[in-house]
Amino acid sequence: MSSYRTETNILRTICYIVMIITTILCIAPIWLLFINATRSTPEIQSGVSLIPSNNFMVNYHILTNQGLNIWRAFGNSLYISIFSTAVGVYVSMMTAYGIKVYDFKGRKFLNNFILVLVLVPMQMSIIGFYQYMAKLGLLDSYIPLIIPAAASAATVFFALQYMESIIIKDLINAARIDGCTEFGIYNRIMVPIAAPGIFTLSIFGFVGSWNNFFTPFILISKMEKYTLPMLVQTLRGDTYKTEMGAIYLGLAISILPVVIVYLLFARYIVSGISMGAVKE
Amino acid sequence: MIAKRKTSINKDQTGIYFVLPFIIIFLIFGLWPLINTFRLSLTDTQLMSRTQHYTGFRNFVLIFNDPSFLLSLKNTAKIWILNFIPQLGLALLFSVWFTSKRMNLKGVGFFRTIFYLPNILMPAAVAALFASLFDYYGPANQILVRMGVLDQAMQFFRNEGFTQAIVIYIQWFMWFGQTIIVLMAGMSSISGDFYESAMIDGATSGQMFRKITLPCIRPVMIYTLITSLVGGMQMFDIPFMLTDGRGAPNGSVMTANIFMYLKYSSNKGHIGLASTVGVVVFVITSAIALIVFKLLEDPDERIKKQMKKMEKRG
Repeated sequence: MSSYRTETNILRTICYIVMIITTILCIAPIWLLFINATRSTPEIQSGVSLIPSNNFMVNYHILTNQGLNIWRAFGNSLYISIFSTAVGVYVSMMTAYGIKVYDFKGRKFLNNFILVLVLVPMQMSIIGFYQYMAKLGLLDSYIPLIIPAAASAATVFFALQYMESIIIKDLINAARIDGCTEFGIYNRIMVPIAAPGIFTLSIFGFVGSWNNFFTPFILISKMEKYTLPMLVQTLRGDTYKTEMGAIYLGLAISILPVVIVYLLFARYIVSGISMGAVKE
Repeated sequence: MIAKRKTSINKDQTGIYFVLPFIIIFLIFGLWPLINTFRLSLTDTQLMSRTQHYTGFRNFVLIFNDPSFLLSLKNTAKIWILNFIPQLGLALLFSVWFTSKRMNLKGVGFFRTIFYLPNILMPAAVAALFASLFDYYGPANQILVRMGVLDQAMQFFRNEGFTQAIVIYIQWFMWFGQTIIVLMAGMSSISGDFYESAMIDGATSGQMFRKITLPCIRPVMIYTLITSLVGGMQMFDIPFMLTDGRGAPNGSVMTANIFMYLKYSSNKGHIGLASTVGVVVFVITSAIALIVFKLLEDPDERIKKQMKKMEKRG
């Protein structure tokens, strides 16, 4: 028995060592990013440091005074992310609710169709999307970046799994007897009950939209409409080539909001990830 | 009784209004763009020219005779496979450790949180970050030279192998945490009774892993495989931002999506050809995903189960 215990202890030590190495691999690049945002370019090029320096304001000055408006891009991204999340999560939840509660005609088909849609790379239709938006005069508009969030099969798929676990038929019937309208039941009873799921889906929706580079990159060409990932791409260009500190600062600003949200709500997020994959 | 039934039937049709916004928006912003892409793929449409002609499958012939396109398909597949296998392997190992009663590791929640962190970072920023980290003057060179691994600083992004390896590493870095969490959820839903009876019968931990854990988490692994495949085939941000946006060096990290973008952004704006690329990748990916799904799991079973549950409740 004692050899079994020693063996377990050795194994456990190996586990911890591997996990700590992996933790370092995960954190080191992010840590270096934030540290280098406070260091000058010569400092960055002369060696690695794990503690901040005092060049933050200079970097900030360089970043904001060479024709790039990072805060405008930040605002644009925030605007798109908030609205697309609100629209996307509300409509997806409503769709899932409709499928789970009502046995309307074509319900089965819709349910299966959404499952298939998850397996399909919709992003590959971007060129047709672009040409169609151009025809509608919606290039350089945020509508194509916000409204399609309401037709995301993945979000509905998650919402379906979640709805299944929270719908109480008796409660819905009781509300009906009390004279509540069908949409009233959804808005006033289901939405509050589903609040934790709505919150989790919203975080994923927000992060997804915040990080989305490809769609705005294809659709938006006016500089003042640029989103943050597009600005990051511009940062990689020639103007800043030699200003490493400013580049790191720009990157730091683009990832910081999401990192903060994540650290605050990691518990919800981590439990939400497996929501779509595992049943019960 | 009859009256009650009638109202419930009427209510059932109200469901359509709940799903209608999704359907309408999907038709306008999802299905039509897809059809439009298929339509454009059969034409010689260019952004810089007003005329467009139906050319049949000429675009398809053109791109399949284009070595760059074949290279981009090969790169995409290679980068995905080389990232997915270690990602799944390591995630399996970690999930087993994390859920193991024997190990009883502390701080699993903390490690999981850290491992998932890279996944929520902006891919564009991560690519730019790694471009700086592996820059000629960057930290990777500084550390490697100081440690004596390299004699002198290295131009990582002039070497095809290194550049591909960096893309693969970034993909792994961003996704292994997600895979761990999904696999763990699958493993922790397996009943402990299975393992107990196996232990009584004298099974080794290796046997238990092969005969109990793996079969039980099959659906979760299929989910991981398919979502990773669908995402991997659309890979764009990271290889695009890491080097010059054209898949340098020598097209070694030019993915199918980058190739599509290059056709679209070429000086004539050949969106007909670009659409063809989109269609080909769409068809290949969907076909593989659906075949894998059908082969490995019987979706009807699952849906049937769901339906039965609904009927019981309803």
